[in-house]
Amino acid sequence: MKKNKRTDTQKVWLTAALGAAAACGASAYEVPLSFLGTNMPPLEFHGFASQGFLYSSDYNYLANDTKNGSFQFSEVGLNVSMNPFPRTRITVQGFDYDVGNVGQYDPFLDYALVEYTFNDEVGVRAGRIRRPSGIYNHIQDVDLARTYVLLPQGVYDARFRDFTASLDGVDVFGDISLGKAGSLAYETYAGMVSMAGNSGMARYIQNNLPPTPVGQFNSIDSTPVMGGQLWWNTPLNGLRAGASFAYLSNFGYHVNVMQPYGPGAMHCVGNVPIQQYSLEYIWKDWTFQAEYYTYDFTGHFYVPAYGNLSVGANWDNPDAWYFGVSHRFNKLIEAGAYYTQFHIRPKNPIPCSFQNDAALSLRFDIKDWWIFKVEGHYIQGTALLRDNADNSNLGSDRGWFMLAVKTTFSF
Amino acid sequence: MKLNTCLIMKSTFLKLGWLGVVLTVGSFRALALDGAVVIANSGVSAGSLSADALKDIYTGKTKYWDGGQAVIIAVLPDKTDAALQQACGMDTSSFKTFWQRLAFSGRGQEPKKAADAAALVALVASTKGAIAIVPADAALDGVKKIEVK
Repeated sequence: MKKNKRTDTQKVWLTAALGAAAACGASAYEVPLSFLGTNMPPLEFHGFASQGFLYSSDYNYLANDTKNGSFQFSEVGLNVSMNPFPRTRITVQGFDYDVGNVGQYDPFLDYALVEYTFNDEVGVRAGRIRRPSGIYNHIQDVDLARTYVLLPQGVYDARFRDFTASLDGVDVFGDISLGKAGSLAYETYAGMVSMAGNSGMARYIQNNLPPTPVGQFNSIDSTPVMGGQLWWNTPLNGLRAGASFAYLSNFGYHVNVMQPYGPGAMHCVGNVPIQQYSLEYIWKDWTFQAEYYTYDFTGHFYVPAYGNLSVGANWDNPDAWYFGVSHRFNKLIEAGAYYTQFHIRPKNPIPCSFQNDAALSLRFDIKDWWIFKVEGHYIQGTALLRDNADNSNLGSDRGWFMLAVKTTFSF
Repeated sequence: MKLNTCLIMKSTFLKLGWLGVVLTVGSFRALALDGAVVIANSGVSAGSLSADALKDIYTGKTKYWDGGQAVIIAVLPDKTDAALQQACGMDTSSFKTFWQRLAFSGRGQEPKKAADAAALVALVASTKGAIAIVPADAALDGVKKIEVK
């Protein structure tokens, strides 16, 4: 694993500088292309910078040292878009983030796509695309777009964005009118998911490997993925119901292996079906949301040196759900709360196999370009702490607390 | 036992019937923009829009005009909030969040903002494919008024 290249203080200053840039702009920046002698429309720039603070009472959660308070919770995004031709749009977003040991402020291309819209019913995107799944997956790191600081982590784990957020491939989308029955919005996609050796998923795998003879995590495969998201926008204004499905084919990773099968390499591979079901109702200043999420991975270990001999399996089949409600009091203040449960299956009452979280949030829209949030969590169970080997006593059934504060600047 | 089952099924169908009535009634809406009108860039071919078509534009379902010109939404924060709610069913905060979700996931272009009605009209006049809701008493120089049926 890589070590932090910057100190917390430097990261705060970096975010503050981007925030100042946002404050100076407070609106989108446009760069006309007329100087090139073309009549193409201008390039349009938008961006955001978020800085968070996490404090927890009993365990280090998400960031490394939350028991003492941590600023290792930051996001910066900058995107540019243009419509160069009729029905055609090109858009690119660079992204930089840090959540504990994940992200580490290594900038990367978040999405880069060409979109062609034939009509309201059919369009196509190609390139690096945000993967649609449920209400928040494609916007999971856009702090502006929600009431909460932390989304329900069993459904939208902030450490797994490399695994869940984007794919390289093609996406077909559209909106089909159902007359008086509302409309169906669909997206279906196929492509590849690429994950780095120091990603959140890699850390998760490393800390959940079976005991000897399986040794250390080595690398993770690029994985074919296909799936889709369907939303039924019901005739009742503001009410929609969604279902999404994704299938990762031959998701695999490599580990070092000891005797009697090594020393050498071992490959763990298996398919991963993912399901998510969503319900959202926006009524006046109220928003009600509920989602259920599950995946089912059974990976078999093969030893290449022994003719791909199968020597065992590793499985992961959790599920999670939440119910949330938020209310906007006025243009300045919004409040929200959710309750979520995450379970490793088969379900077990021991604390390290589940995590229940009751959250209460306040959001302040101080300026058009500046928001501030504060949020409290009461958590029971420790199942989502498994990526951090530093935590001890995961079997304690005592409830624990977490404070999350975040501010975001945008233009 | 069989009779009871039938009664339960009948009751369920009645409830579903009521649900259908509620949903159908919920879908009916007559559009009236209080103290505001819809304007567009003079290059936009449409002279009128249905209430549903206007809603489709403001909810990002319709992204292009006939002919392929991108729809550019322009807004006047705080001055036309009621009309915006009537047009798309979202208040100003929800509308802003909705478009930020689209923009930062690569799925849409955030509406442009203007400081006052005159600036909004000027913005629409100078931006190909632009559409906006403006106060009814604004001077509509260089733009076309869109009739909402």
